[in-house]
Amino acid sequence: MSVSTTSRAGINSLTYYFDLIIHLITRDFALRYKGSAIGILWSLMLPLSQLLVLVFLFGKVVPLRIDAYPAFVFSALLPWVWFSTCLNSASSLFIGNRDLVRRPNFPPFILIIVNTLSNLLSYILFLPILIFILVLYGHYMTPYLLIFPLLILIQSILIIGLSLMVATMNVFYRDIQQIVTVAVMLLFYLAPVFYRSEIIGEKYHLLYTLNPIAVLIQSYRAIFFYGSPPHWGSLMLSAVLCVTVFAIGFFLYNRQLADVFDRL
Amino acid sequence: MTVREDMQTVLAAENVSKCFRIQRNRPHTLREMINQRLTGRYNSCSTLWALRDVSFLVRQGRVLGIIGHNGAGKSTLLRLLCGLGRPTKGRIHCAGNVGSLLELGSGFHLDMTGRENLLTGGILSGLTRRQVKAMEEKIIAFAELEEFIDQPVRTYSSGMYLRLAFSTAIHFKPDYLIIDEVLAVGDARFQQKCLERLKAFRAAGKSLILASHDLEQVRLLCDEVLVLEEGQVVIQGEPERAISCYHDLMRQRTEKRAEKLYGKGGGLSIATERGSRLGTQEAKISAVHLYSSSGESTDSICSGDSLTIELEYSILKPVNDMAVILGIYNETNIKCFETAIVSTNAIVGKIGEHGSLTCSLPGLPLLPGNYFVNVGLYPVKWDYVYDYHWQMHPLYILGSKEMFSGISGVVLLQPAWSISTIKNLVGMPVDTKETNVPAD
Repeated sequence: MSVSTTSRAGINSLTYYFDLIIHLITRDFALRYKGSAIGILWSLMLPLSQLLVLVFLFGKVVPLRIDAYPAFVFSALLPWVWFSTCLNSASSLFIGNRDLVRRPNFPPFILIIVNTLSNLLSYILFLPILIFILVLYGHYMTPYLLIFPLLILIQSILIIGLSLMVATMNVFYRDIQQIVTVAVMLLFYLAPVFYRSEIIGEKYHLLYTLNPIAVLIQSYRAIFFYGSPPHWGSLMLSAVLCVTVFAIGFFLYNRQLADVFDRL
Repeated sequence: MTVREDMQTVLAAENVSKCFRIQRNRPHTLREMINQRLTGRYNSCSTLWALRDVSFLVRQGRVLGIIGHNGAGKSTLLRLLCGLGRPTKGRIHCAGNVGSLLELGSGFHLDMTGRENLLTGGILSGLTRRQVKAMEEKIIAFAELEEFIDQPVRTYSSGMYLRLAFSTAIHFKPDYLIIDEVLAVGDARFQQKCLERLKAFRAAGKSLILASHDLEQVRLLCDEVLVLEEGQVVIQGEPERAISCYHDLMRQRTEKRAEKLYGKGGGLSIATERGSRLGTQEAKISAVHLYSSSGESTDSICSGDSLTIELEYSILKPVNDMAVILGIYNETNIKCFETAIVSTNAIVGKIGEHGSLTCSLPGLPLLPGNYFVNVGLYPVKWDYVYDYHWQMHPLYILGSKEMFSGISGVVLLQPAWSISTIKNLVGMPVDTKETNVPAD
């Protein structure tokens, strides 16, 4: 960078960024439900209605014959909702927050972290409901739940990496927004959210091992629904893929940042 | 040239240039881009050097003013100083934190309350939550918004909004502050408060960089002024010297323009009976008439009477909009009053090829004396002069000697004196008796 700024005098940088991120997340939450009567309860609506549709469709209309189907779907639906909401909103993060991006001392990638964490928070708020449904169907907690934070970490890296690419490139080409919407929709059917990946057969196996979001979703389902460890091999492979995606995203963001300022 | 970051210098620009690519048919979508690449038309872009080789230093505790007409590169320079974007060439060194008043109220959300927005603004300015909370009451008091601070910002008047934004921005203590046209905030009293605040800021050894169109403010506040013209530094020096250079530039641009229109030595200055006249004459004032309250053409009115000024103008194509100023100056060239129209089309209506503009001034509160009506027509970008009449149209304000004995100055006021006598000086109740002297 051509602008070298010495560290903020008297301010512990970490505390500052912590405060900044926490504040923006609270603000994001407050704004989303401000003025609505039932407030934060609205955030429950989208996943719950999606759950109802899927349960009705694949439990009654086209039965997939999976035991405890609502619990089966819900354990995978929540991480999927986190992933898809983040990506769909990522495209407007820079172009929609022009006034924040153009503030001195404000690193725009903070917006991406805030977006990721704020949607993660919705996910976390759902955990009691998920556990309630699991218990309802007789699935009890196992020590494998301790892997949960690791899965969250890997998925965060993936979401931040992809969001960096999407947010940056959408400043230059507004098509990205449309492409992402379509891609996320297609990915929903390619990820085993409402079906078992085993029924697809060996032929498409590669499609599921090389797709980090599919592997992650199966891992969540393993620890919550089956109470078994995730497939460590594919999980590690997708962790590597996620870090690669993040590195590419960060590289792209870093390279284009100066142009982003000029273009906004 | 190399600029060392010594103790004194807080900010240094070293041969800073900024180039913008202006693609005439810039691809907005991927399809357009692919199309252009395939057909090989993608190279049809031109470059615009918004800044060229700009170098300067700002020392601790100093105020640097940046002036230049619209499009001279002021905003580009300020943005680069804030760390937004990267110079195409050259370097900017800064020691310490930058604070900016470039876009007041950025980060504010209309649905949040004043207090919530204040917190947002503070944290975005680089303070932790605790530090903002500690300062909160002081900021609210400065903005004079105690009653409304818990209301959503969307219910604020624009003045209240700006007051909150300004107070928020100015209470956080950066090492240098970058200000763009800032002192148009609120009423005159609040502006005065802001100026005081900026002075205190400077007295505390912080530096300011101020871009402004208001030459008076620049003259008052700045230690040094930088004049930008077409992205280049024309002069950096004492405010007086820089401002006169800025005026010269306006003249030069007018001369250049006149030369282009009429060839060498043509058109620019026109001999006049009295005063002087300058401009390219693309739009010209053919006559100025003054009318008294009874409607007759005159050049003298009584003190306190109304005056109507009519400007007859004619314009040459392709001029289709202009800016107008009309001022009343006294003999010593003190500006008593001036009014400006930034765009006739937007404010008074579409202009024809010939026509007249009328300005009524009901009750001119000027003391008797000799004045001049100075009028001018400018392009809407104010970058040169179409026609300016200086001291060409005298205005005599009359009044009887007896009535105005013992009064001097410019403005007509009705003084009313009263006196009260303190009878007892040793702590007894004071008995006052007022004697009012009616003015008429």
